Amino acid sequence: MKRLGLLYLAAQNLRRKPFRSFVTIAIVGLAAGTLFSATLLIGSVDRSLEVGMERLGADLLVVPAGYQESGQAALITGAPTSFYMDAGILNQVKNITGVNQASPQLFIESMVSSQCCTGHVQLVGYDPGSDFVVSPWLKDNLQRSLNQNEVVIGSLILANKGEQVHFYGHSFDVAGVLDATGMGVDESVFMSLDTAYLMAQESAQVAESPLDVKPGQISSVLVKKSPDTNVDQLTQRIKTNVPGTTIITANELSRSVTDRISGFKRGFIAVDAIVWIMSLLTIAAIFSMIVNERQREIGLLRAMGSSRRFVFRLMLAEAVFLTAAGGIAGIFVGGAALFIFKAIITSSLGIPYLWPPLLTFVKLMVITMLLSIVSGAVASLYPALSSSRLEPYAAIRQGE
Amino acid sequence: MIVLKDLSKTYKVGPSTVRAVDKVDLEIPRGQMVSIVGHSGSGKTTLLSLMGGLTKPSSGRVIIDDINIWTLSDKEISKLRNEKIGFSFQFASLFPTLNALDNVRLPTTFSGGQPTDHNRAIELLKLVGLEDRIYSYPGQLSGGEQRRVALARTLMKEPRLILADEPTGDLDEDTEADILDILKRINGEGVTIVLVTHSRAVASQAQRALRMHRGLLSEESE
Repeated sequence: MKRLGLLYLAAQNLRRKPFRSFVTIAIVGLAAGTLFSATLLIGSVDRSLEVGMERLGADLLVVPAGYQESGQAALITGAPTSFYMDAGILNQVKNITGVNQASPQLFIESMVSSQCCTGHVQLVGYDPGSDFVVSPWLKDNLQRSLNQNEVVIGSLILANKGEQVHFYGHSFDVAGVLDATGMGVDESVFMSLDTAYLMAQESAQVAESPLDVKPGQISSVLVKKSPDTNVDQLTQRIKTNVPGTTIITANELSRSVTDRISGFKRGFIAVDAIVWIMSLLTIAAIFSMIVNERQREIGLLRAMGSSRRFVFRLMLAEAVFLTAAGGIAGIFVGGAALFIFKAIITSSLGIPYLWPPLLTFVKLMVITMLLSIVSGAVASLYPALSSSRLEPYAAIRQGE
Repeated sequence: MIVLKDLSKTYKVGPSTVRAVDKVDLEIPRGQMVSIVGHSGSGKTTLLSLMGGLTKPSSGRVIIDDINIWTLSDKEISKLRNEKIGFSFQFASLFPTLNALDNVRLPTTFSGGQPTDHNRAIELLKLVGLEDRIYSYPGQLSGGEQRRVALARTLMKEPRLILADEPTGDLDEDTEADILDILKRINGEGVTIVLVTHSRAVASQAQRALRMHRGLLSEESE
C-alpha cells in the first residue's frame, strides 16, 4: 500500500498540467545545463593548463623570432609546426644569469599519411642529457631512457605501448604513452634528438618527402629559471643577449588561453544570469498561477486538517520537484552537448581541454543540482507562503 | 457539545459592512442532528464555516467539547479539524489526480497514516456503494458517485461532528436518499451532524431545525 505523503501528493499535482511542468523543467534545465556545461568547459581548460604546464615544466621557451604564435599554438593545441634556429643558441641561453636548466627541442611536422594518425602530428626531438619534459616521466615509468628507434607518444596518438608507428620511412617502437594533458603534448611524438636527426638524414633515401633538417638545428630552448630569478628580468636578459629569438613565457601561454576564453566567460556569465533570472521569474509566475487555480483545493486540504505548514511545504515540494528535474535534465543535456561539441568548441576557440577528475565532475553536478533546487525553493517561496496564509473558507469560496 | 456564543461575522463590501452572521447563540448537544435552512445569502454556509474553524469570527466564541477553538494555534486547530470534524461540501470536492481510494484516505495524510487506513477506506467506499469504483479517478465517476466518495472521505477519520453544506444538492432522488440514509446511520452512532440545506425534505430528516435569515439564527418552530 503506497503512503499518501506530502511528496506523493506533490508529484501527483505536477501530473495535472504536463505541458506546464515540462516547460518549467525545460527552462530550469536550460539554466542548469548552461551553467554546468560552461563551468565544466572552463574548469577543463584550467585543468588542462595546469596539467599541461606541469608537464612542460619550463618557465619559458626561446624560439626563433617571428614564431611566437605558432610556438604557442603547438604547445597549447598541438597544431604542428616546424621552425629552426642554430643549436649554438642553447649555449648562449645556458650562459645567461638566472638560467637554471636549458634543454633544446626539435619540432618536425609529420606527413599526413602517417600510419598512426589522422592529419599531421608534431614530432619532437629532445635532448636526453638535459631534458626535463619527457625524461622525468621515462624515469618514473620506464626506469630507462629511450633507445634509438623508440618513441614516447601523447595520449591522443592512436597507438599503444609495444606497437609500431612510422614516420618518414622509419619505424619506431612505442615505449610508452604519456598521460593526457589536454594540451599539445597529447598530439606529439617524442624521440631523442639524435633519433630525430637520423630520421631526417635518412629520409632522403626512405621517405616520400625528405626532411630538410640538419644536425645543429633546433626549434626551441626550454628554460627553467633559478629559484631567485624573476621571469620578466630573465626574459629581458635573453632578449638582450640572444638576438633573433623571441620568448614565450609560461605565464604568457596561460594568459593566451585565458584571453581566448575570457570573452566566452563574460558571455556565459551574462547569458546564464539572464536565463537564471528568467527561470526564477517563470517559476514564481507559474506557482502564483498554481496557487490561484488551486485555491479551493488548498481550502479543502485545510478543512481536512492540513496545517498551514503542510500547504507551504506541499507548494515548495512541487517547485523543488520541477527544478530538481530541470537540474538533472540540464546536467545530462549540457554534459552531452559539451561531449559532442567539445572538439568544435576547443578548435574554434583554440583552447586546451582536459576532462576533470570524477570527483570534480560529481561536485559540479551536486552544485548544479543544489542551485536548481534552491532556485525552485526561492522562486516559489512567496506563492507558497500566500497559499499557506489563505483562510480555508475564503479559499474554498474563491475557488467556486 | 458545540456552543456558539454571541458569534458574529462581518465583511467589508465597499464602504458598507455586511453582517453575514449576527450575534448567534446556539448549543447543540452531542449526537444531535440539526438542519439549518434559509435563503441564499442568509449566512448558513458562513455559520457552518465558523463552527468548523474554517473562518475566524469577527466576535464571539465557538466552543467544541469545552474548547474555544479560536484560542488554539494553527497546528492545534488543524488537528481538531482532522480528528473531530468532517466537512461535506455542496460541490464535488475530490482531487483529480487521486483515485477514489486515495481521495478517501487523504485526511489520514495529516495525521501520519496507519496500516489499517487502506482497509477502512475500502469499507467506507463499500458503505457508499462504490466498492467496484475503488480505483476510478474522479473524471471517471458521475457527479453522484463523486459526492459519495466525498462523503466516504468525510467519515474516514471517524469525526464526532459532521458539518454538511447542501450534502444532497444537485443529486438525483436515489442518491439523495442514500446519502441521507448514511448520515442518519452515522448520527445513530452518536455523531453530531449539522446540515445546511435549501430542501425542506432534507431538513425534515433532522431532529432539530433552525432557520437563518439575514445573519440571524432562530429555531424553525418559532
